[in-house]
Amino acid sequence: MERISETTLTPPTQTTEDRQPKAADIIASRRSCNADGTGLSHYILMDKTPRS
Amino acid sequence: MSARGTNAVRAASVRGRSTDAGDDSPLRIVDIGHHSHDVLMDAEVAFWSLIARNRLDDVLADGPLIAAWRAKRAAFAEEMDVLRFRLTPSAVYFNPTERCNLDCTYCYIPADMRRRGQHMGETEMTAALDRLRDYFRTTVPEGRKPQIIFHGAEPLLNREVMFAAIDRYHDDFRFGVQTNATLLDDDAAAFLMERGVGIGLSLDGPVAEIADRTRRSWGGEGTYAAVIAAMERLRGYDGYNVIATINQGNVAELTRLVELFHAHEVPACMLNVVRCTQPAAETVRADDALVTRHYLAALERSHALYRATGRKLVVVNFANILISILAPTARRLMCDISPCGGGRSFFALAPNGDLFPCSEFIGLPAFKGGNLFQDRIEDVLASPAFRTVTGRRVEDIAACHDCTMRHFCGAPCPAEAHEMNGGMDQTGAYCGFYAEQASYAFRLIADGRHDDFLWDGWDDGTEVAFSLDLARLSRSTPGVGGEGSSWITG
Repeated sequence: MERISETTLTPPTQTTEDRQPKAADIIASRRSCNADGTGLSHYILMDKTPRS
Repeated sequence: MSARGTNAVRAASVRGRSTDAGDDSPLRIVDIGHHSHDVLMDAEVAFWSLIARNRLDDVLADGPLIAAWRAKRAAFAEEMDVLRFRLTPSAVYFNPTERCNLDCTYCYIPADMRRRGQHMGETEMTAALDRLRDYFRTTVPEGRKPQIIFHGAEPLLNREVMFAAIDRYHDDFRFGVQTNATLLDDDAAAFLMERGVGIGLSLDGPVAEIADRTRRSWGGEGTYAAVIAAMERLRGYDGYNVIATINQGNVAELTRLVELFHAHEVPACMLNVVRCTQPAAETVRADDALVTRHYLAALERSHALYRATGRKLVVVNFANILISILAPTARRLMCDISPCGGGRSFFALAPNGDLFPCSEFIGLPAFKGGNLFQDRIEDVLASPAFRTVTGRRVEDIAACHDCTMRHFCGAPCPAEAHEMNGGMDQTGAYCGFYAEQASYAFRLIADGRHDDFLWDGWDDGTEVAFSLDLARLSRSTPGVGGEGSSWITG
């Protein structure tokens, strides 16, 4: 995702404000694709061809 | 506070507040619980932007973001319309037997059916798959295979017929099996892995004492040991996942459960709230606030394990909510969208050929839309029973019509709403939980952590439809973008 940021984000491990990275002021993104032929319910994921 | 009371409080915040553009504007500002950012949302088209609170006035003053949103709004609306109303089925939850060797507390299939039901014979299996193959040739894009998920009840009780079908139709379908693992021996596991069949297991707790409370045989024997053994057989196979059904008995154990899955190198799991379609399930339902607290803690634990080891355990149902925000049409699961996928992107087949919008409806005769061996599938999809489900729109539900999270939640599940709360125009059981999941997802995006919760390659085949143009913005005003800034608008 493209972002506006003046800082390098590092993975936070806590949710306290003072330990979080500074988020970009504005974040907006959307990706798109053909939705045909996908879609299951909450039972199983078959997103890709498995490898054993 | 009661679950419904909790929902009411949460509902007030996810409706958002109006912008200065007035109540007629579709834009709302939503507090997602982030320390610095709110979400600007046009919920109808699932448009969003995370904005620092001290920049909200700038952005709303008809700046480039607002202009870009206006320019793309019709395209976003079209995309959501396709996703919500114009898909055709590509998958079947195929029950090769009504019987199950377990008597789980919350099962949505009636007990008498599971105890004394019928198996599908080889002749019927062949006839069913022939009909489904011919139908899907008219609906699934060339180059893709429709999906057959053998489901239950316990499909491995009818193993020979099911395995013969997997071999016979391997050119026509992608196959998956959802199993309780008690019959997944070495030979069965090898057969499925060699053929690349997706495998779903079920396990509800990190130790037998908890897992076996809800998932046990008719004689009371638990399944924990069998599932752990199966997980070892499947170690290294990336085509499997484990589903845990969240209930009162295990809700406080989700973090330990995630640790167990990660230790066994499970590639993906689902932490699904128990659906209250059958009355017995409602008796073990956990409160929304409790589910939320432990579920989010489990997600955080999965993230910490990833950062510590470099190996992801993807919580797929949460990942799907993230994707529904980042790329609505790239979602893989269709429970948390309205109308849900039941009867429109998939349907369920009972062993006698009866067709239902989803497995969740198999115990509800009123939702039988027809029979595969007697009716045209096109007619079944158009039947009143199916239309009742496929016509359920979140906008028509009083509690949801102005909720900003409505297209990241979908007010699941219609079977639950109908049976538990009295109608399709009602919400399901977990309104507050879904709102919190979406808010949490936005917080992860704000903090740049979201990719850590998604499977690698989740966006393969997608393209940017809307994004800040970093190159040009870097030459202008940082942040909101000043003169000379631009937007990629697809």
